[in-house]
Amino acid sequence: MAGGLGVIRKVENLSIKQQLTRMNMLVSCAALLVACGAVLTYEVAAFRQSMVRGLSIQAQIVGANSVSALMFEDPESARKTLSALDAAPNILSAGIYTAAGEEFATYFRVRQEALPLPALKGDQSESHRFADGELRLIRRIVFQGKQVGTVYIRSDLREQGRRIIRYLLILTGVLLVSLLSAFVLSHRFQRTIAQPLVGLAKVARVVSRERNFSVRAATTTSRDEIGELIEAFNEMLGQIQERDSALQSAREELEQRVAWRTAELESVNKELESFTYSVAHDLRAPLRHIQGFSAALSEEFGAQLSPEGIEYVGRIVKGTRRMGLLINDLLALAHVGRQELHLRWTGLNGLAEEVVQDLKEEAGGRNIRWQTGDLPSANCDPGLMRQVFYNLLSNSVKYTRPRNPAVIEIGQTHVNGEQVIFVRDNGVGFNMKYSAKLFGVFQRLHRIEDFEGTGVGLATVQRIIHKHGGRIWAEAEVDMGASFFFTLNRAEPSL
Amino acid sequence: MSNFGRFVEWPSEMTAGDAPFYVCVLGQDSFGPALDAALSGEKIGHAPLVPKRISRVEEAVDCRLLFISASEDSRLTTILPGVGKSILTVGDMPGFTQRGGMIQFVVEGNRVRFEINLAAAQHAGLNLGSDLLKVATTVRRGL
Repeated sequence: MAGGLGVIRKVENLSIKQQLTRMNMLVSCAALLVACGAVLTYEVAAFRQSMVRGLSIQAQIVGANSVSALMFEDPESARKTLSALDAAPNILSAGIYTAAGEEFATYFRVRQEALPLPALKGDQSESHRFADGELRLIRRIVFQGKQVGTVYIRSDLREQGRRIIRYLLILTGVLLVSLLSAFVLSHRFQRTIAQPLVGLAKVARVVSRERNFSVRAATTTSRDEIGELIEAFNEMLGQIQERDSALQSAREELEQRVAWRTAELESVNKELESFTYSVAHDLRAPLRHIQGFSAALSEEFGAQLSPEGIEYVGRIVKGTRRMGLLINDLLALAHVGRQELHLRWTGLNGLAEEVVQDLKEEAGGRNIRWQTGDLPSANCDPGLMRQVFYNLLSNSVKYTRPRNPAVIEIGQTHVNGEQVIFVRDNGVGFNMKYSAKLFGVFQRLHRIEDFEGTGVGLATVQRIIHKHGGRIWAEAEVDMGASFFFTLNRAEPSL
Repeated sequence: MSNFGRFVEWPSEMTAGDAPFYVCVLGQDSFGPALDAALSGEKIGHAPLVPKRISRVEEAVDCRLLFISASEDSRLTTILPGVGKSILTVGDMPGFTQRGGMIQFVVEGNRVRFEINLAAAQHAGLNLGSDLLKVATTVRRGL
């Protein structure tokens, strides 16, 4: 059983051609074996029957010829009758017994031995038995309605064995010839079944390997399932091809539209930047006039002004100074937008350290604990990157003003396998609700009375990071400090 | 003895009916009651075997089988011609078949065998079967 399963499992790995051939061979082999077995069984049974019949006739003859010998108690005559059995080579021994069952005369082909008479049941006139490779037959000798004795004959089955062997030889020959013709026939017939399937499989392989949907499987003239399969397959390929080309054209259209929109956006952006720049630039001249004349007013006509007037002039000067700062920052922002990147392989550690030194001087007597971790090197514009560090760290210095000691930390970490640089402080933080506004121009989360600033610094930082192909985001909690994270170009710095 | 009767091809009308098949003993009966016991219930065809003891050959008209006792040895040559057709003659005296008897018992060692005078039987219109001849010690074919 296990071997059978093994054969079947192995068959699954064969090509359909081989499977068909094997199936045909197995089926014809099985059918032939069954037929041969039936024929052989029938032959053996028929041969046994004819053997019994032949032996029965011999027993009848011997019996009939022994009647007078038995009745006149002449065993010599009975022996003579028995010796005629010499002509039948299959007979091993025979015996004649009196009606009382006593041995009367015996015959042995080879050598004398005891030949006890088996019992004959009831009123059976004859019985036979196949045992120990022999056929044994007992027959009553009846004369004029009375049993006068019994004859017992033993015959060997060599003839039967010879016949079986002869039959087996013939059957083996028939089997071989049948299998050969089955092989030839199945070889011829499999062409109509396997050939189209093999072609189909080849085409399917080409399709899946080369993504080539333009090929078609060779169709057959037969209207069977295989023909339908091939037709359906070809139809499916056609549909895929159609859908493919539709998809391709849609994608092309989309790309075109995106390119067009991008170009549009870029030109609008450029316009906006140049507008910002020119406005900021053009605002400087009138502002300088206001500053200059306010200064002249307070210097030359200060004595003639009332204290209230002097205060107004002071407010004008203050306002113009603030406006100057705003304009400078706006210009810087616009500058960043317009500026080409000058990428250089730069160690960020050194850059951050310079900024920290500058800020230490600016912060004067404040108690600030600086913690600078190990930063990587990056392919970046060093001037702009210095500005990123300056803006982020000066923000930290500014918003930790109420803290003693203030802690400001710079370092790198990895988020989802991406290198991230961070700046963290223990300052006043902010509400995450407003984090979306954080990087907008002129957007401020604190009152100017508490923390000065134009609201342009983080917008500038974001613009620089974006120009480098990176991202920036922040995490914070009110009164619990803030953290800023940024990445640089996704592609490795070597670019 | 009755076995001889079984191997003789009797004319069919003799055995068809149930008329008795007489087994006669002529002369001194050496069988005694053993003969009656042996024949009791035996049949040839439908005819029952019946023993009959006679003293004269004239009484043997309806006998089928006639046993001529050794006591008749001296009268045998006169008896035999008087025996009718289709009567099987059996005897145990020496020279019985030579003198025209059909079957003669012979003692060989401790077994009883018999001789046959086929010609005498044929002359009387009796056909002795080949099976009987097969077991006979001697078969005489001429008179």
